[in-house]
Amino acid sequence: MNARREAMYGYLFTLPWMIGMSVFMLYPVVASCWYSFCDYSVLKPPMWIGLANYQELFQDEVFWQATRNTLVFAMLSLPLSTVVALALAVLLNGKVRGQSVYRALFFMPSLVPVVPVAVLWFWLFNGDHGIINVMLHSMHIPTVNWMSNPAYTKWAIVVLTVWGGGNTMLIYLAGLQDVPTSLLEASELDGASGAQRFRHVTVPMISPVILFNVVMGLIGSLQVFAVPYVLWPTGSPERSAYFYAMYLFDNAFKFNKMGYACAMGVLMFLMILVLTLALLKVGERKVHYQDGG
Amino acid sequence: MKLSNFISASAFKLTAVAISAVALFAYSEKMAERNPRKDRVHVTYWEGWTAFEFEAMAAIVADFNRSQDRIQVDILSESDAVNKTMMSISAGLPPDVAGLGNPDIAHFVDDHALMPLDDFCKEKGINRSQYTPIFWDMGVYQGHVWSLPSVPASTALFYNPSMFSQVGLKPDAYPKTIEELDALDVKLSKLDGEGRIKQIGFLPSEPGWWTWAFGYYFGGKLIDADGNLTVNSKENIRGFDWVASFSKRHGSDAVQSFKQGLGNFSSPQNAFMAQQVVMEMQGVWMYNFIHTFNPSLSWRVVPFPHPADRPDMANVTMVEENNLTIPRGAKHPREAFEFIAFVQQQKEMEKLCCGQLKFSPLSKVTPEFYQKNPNPSAKFFYELSGSPNSVPAPKVGYWQEFQSELSATIDSITLLSRTPKEALDHLQERMKPKVESYRQRVEQRRRLGL
Amino acid sequence: MKVRRILATMGKHTLLVVLSILFAFPFVWLISTPLKPDAEVMRNPPVWIPSHFQFDNFWKAMNFEGDKLGYIPFLVYGRNTVVLCLLTVLGLVISNALVAYGFAKFRFPGRNLFFILTLATMMIPFPVLMVPTFSLFRAMDWVGTYRPLWVPAWFGSGFSIFLLRQFFKTIPNELSEAARIDGASEFAIFFEVVLPLCKPALAVVALFGFMGTWNDFLGPLIYLLDQKQFTLGLGLQAFQSQHGGTPFSLQMAATSIVILPVVILFIFMQRLLVQGIAVTGIK
Repeated sequence: MNARREAMYGYLFTLPWMIGMSVFMLYPVVASCWYSFCDYSVLKPPMWIGLANYQELFQDEVFWQATRNTLVFAMLSLPLSTVVALALAVLLNGKVRGQSVYRALFFMPSLVPVVPVAVLWFWLFNGDHGIINVMLHSMHIPTVNWMSNPAYTKWAIVVLTVWGGGNTMLIYLAGLQDVPTSLLEASELDGASGAQRFRHVTVPMISPVILFNVVMGLIGSLQVFAVPYVLWPTGSPERSAYFYAMYLFDNAFKFNKMGYACAMGVLMFLMILVLTLALLKVGERKVHYQDGG
Repeated sequence: MKLSNFISASAFKLTAVAISAVALFAYSEKMAERNPRKDRVHVTYWEGWTAFEFEAMAAIVADFNRSQDRIQVDILSESDAVNKTMMSISAGLPPDVAGLGNPDIAHFVDDHALMPLDDFCKEKGINRSQYTPIFWDMGVYQGHVWSLPSVPASTALFYNPSMFSQVGLKPDAYPKTIEELDALDVKLSKLDGEGRIKQIGFLPSEPGWWTWAFGYYFGGKLIDADGNLTVNSKENIRGFDWVASFSKRHGSDAVQSFKQGLGNFSSPQNAFMAQQVVMEMQGVWMYNFIHTFNPSLSWRVVPFPHPADRPDMANVTMVEENNLTIPRGAKHPREAFEFIAFVQQQKEMEKLCCGQLKFSPLSKVTPEFYQKNPNPSAKFFYELSGSPNSVPAPKVGYWQEFQSELSATIDSITLLSRTPKEALDHLQERMKPKVESYRQRVEQRRRLGL
Repeated sequence: MKVRRILATMGKHTLLVVLSILFAFPFVWLISTPLKPDAEVMRNPPVWIPSHFQFDNFWKAMNFEGDKLGYIPFLVYGRNTVVLCLLTVLGLVISNALVAYGFAKFRFPGRNLFFILTLATMMIPFPVLMVPTFSLFRAMDWVGTYRPLWVPAWFGSGFSIFLLRQFFKTIPNELSEAARIDGASEFAIFFEVVLPLCKPALAVVALFGFMGTWNDFLGPLIYLLDQKQFTLGLGLQAFQSQHGGTPFSLQMAATSIVILPVVILFIFMQRLLVQGIAVTGIK
């Protein structure tokens, strides 16, 4: 096939996405930037106000609080869910009796739509009647007001996120199947313990998968919205469960300050970009790619 | 496999996929379709009510549809009605009639989302003199009429006389002053064997629907007559000090865990119905819930107490109103108003308010109204709404944001993480620039004609 | 050595059992709550197994007209959600396969830049797109219809394109060369030679797409206006926030009803899914 024909087919096959990317991704990003310099609610035409939205944002303590909440949440949930998902995957890798039952059990929570998840956990965490506190109480562990004590609301969502991390586990599981057993056996013959084998063979072999999951997890956790929105529509108590995406949504659709919301969106994009690039930079040094994949 | 087979097989599969896609698409379009009947003008009407309140309005809609053969009103119950209505107006697909609460009118107007009704009212001869003034005024903003009432409400103190008797109080020893209320709270609260609160006399945050209002009982205001914020006035601080005193008295953690153990409002486990809270601030609708979930409950309703040193603050009541509005961009505004005017007729209004177990916003009621109304407290609430101290939510366009700020402030006050003075000073400082820029932009737009 | 191995296996199983209990108990509680008589719902100590089973709550949650309290029409929402999911999944599978194939098998000027942009789109958070996309669909008069929710899927998505491209790269070119020599068109090669080899990978895209749509909350929250059009996720939220709240046992009944279909689907697709992810090789 000659180059021109090949290029033509290339364009033809990728055409839907060229349109999709321009219309549903690039245009909104550009428009968001433009609106972020305007006073805008869909009912009224955009009115240019320069940097006023950004100025207001930097002085807006709720903005900072929501940002802080979101970063704290990401910092808590990302390592925890990575460790749990990886541990589950390692436990389930190889021959284990009842493997498919376990697999289904651990994956099931991530199948549940967010609203039911939130409703269910609200019921589990609920004050003295919530089953979690009842169980803690019966084991003589001091109980806490998960839903109404500002110190614990974020933990409640972290627990929920770790519980729902089944698809991350699945991706790790798939990655682990690529680790050649010959390598593991060789190191076992060399006298390496289980922990050493994991540290020196398994982790390097699946490091690209870890990086991928961590990056996707980071992007996801910075956007956390639906679960806290259903549990604490106003982010109360004391806005301890008020996250970036919630404040953005409220500004856009409740307070009708769409320009302000767009400015928040632009900053969020920059934040994610910087953090992701930083992660990739770290990853570059640590991640081991098989055959340069 | 031969090439021709290749092609025909793939053509077949592609056609199958295409057909199923088209079928699904058509079906999804059908699911989103509205307005099936074409012989009449269809007026869509969105309302946030459910259950019997919705049915009471649905009965009026049915009366209207029967009363003439030109217009058909289709009533729909929407959850989260305020946001959905705003989004649908933004999308250019609004209902013809939208039910809104009075606190939302101002921001809808500032956002150019409603149609003024002055001319329609004039045409139909509807004016202020026909209403209890406060219920007419709630629909007026910046000199124009934007909405007419559907049903009004006011609030007072409900209490349980038989629980009073249990601790040796006379059943009619209800509190007349805030100080008496405090003393009763001490007397009526009980702990269980493990030191957890089992029963509480009164809790400002139960049900916690009027968190913004506590300063008003002490003569405070959030916004003064000129539209300036007076959040941290002496009276407001006093009011919120009072709110904080309950967390101090019972322990903030204990109160939180007590509150979480309470059942849903709309259930037999409702705190007042389950006799876990002895006195509660509630509105005219409370009768219905008692009647539905615990008809044998012993209850009475009295005006909310006032501070002992402020007898002028007797009979403070929060007044609210459900309103009928016509969104901008409605397809049939004239027909929509036909319906709104129909609801304002004395006969229909009384039927509606009777059905919702509330009182009428009209200045005149037929003598039978209170006899027919199953709610024995309807008249009490009606009279209370005429009090000089009746308080509607402030008419400001930034109310939603203000309220969200207020609820965070209240959190920190009830959790005792800030003193009321600190919290209110902070709120005042925080809202001030927001209000300023809000007004500036509304002004700027007016000047530019945008 | 042998003893150590047995001990290790035992330890592994103990750990797995403990973890399973931690992961599964919410589900047990979820199913048991609506089956209990009202008096046992809030009882302390908790009642795990109801003294007698009652199925009323499930019936009440599904039945929307018979009940005065105006509960949510779950069957209607279920239908809405399924149709929406099918439309989305169909679009995702077809368009992403096409696009990913284009990236994997054809060289064209600008391909690398285009692909890097594609990867970058994965980093754009949805909230950034929210306002302009809303304005766009508003200008097209699409708000209040299902179109904003499924049409974009027919134009591809960064994540799925990336996943499938990795997979297509592993398919040797010899197969398509042979068909090309036979005179098959590029599209015929794609549909008849390449796609049949990709079932596991396509299944992954389909399942993730299905779950994404089934679980989506923000999209329907913004674009669906009429309560009759709601999806299950959104309907459930309405159910929860309905005037002063719905009793927990009913909420749990409704929640179980919403979860059940996905769980069944997963049990059937489990093997295919793990295989599929393994072959797409995310790295």
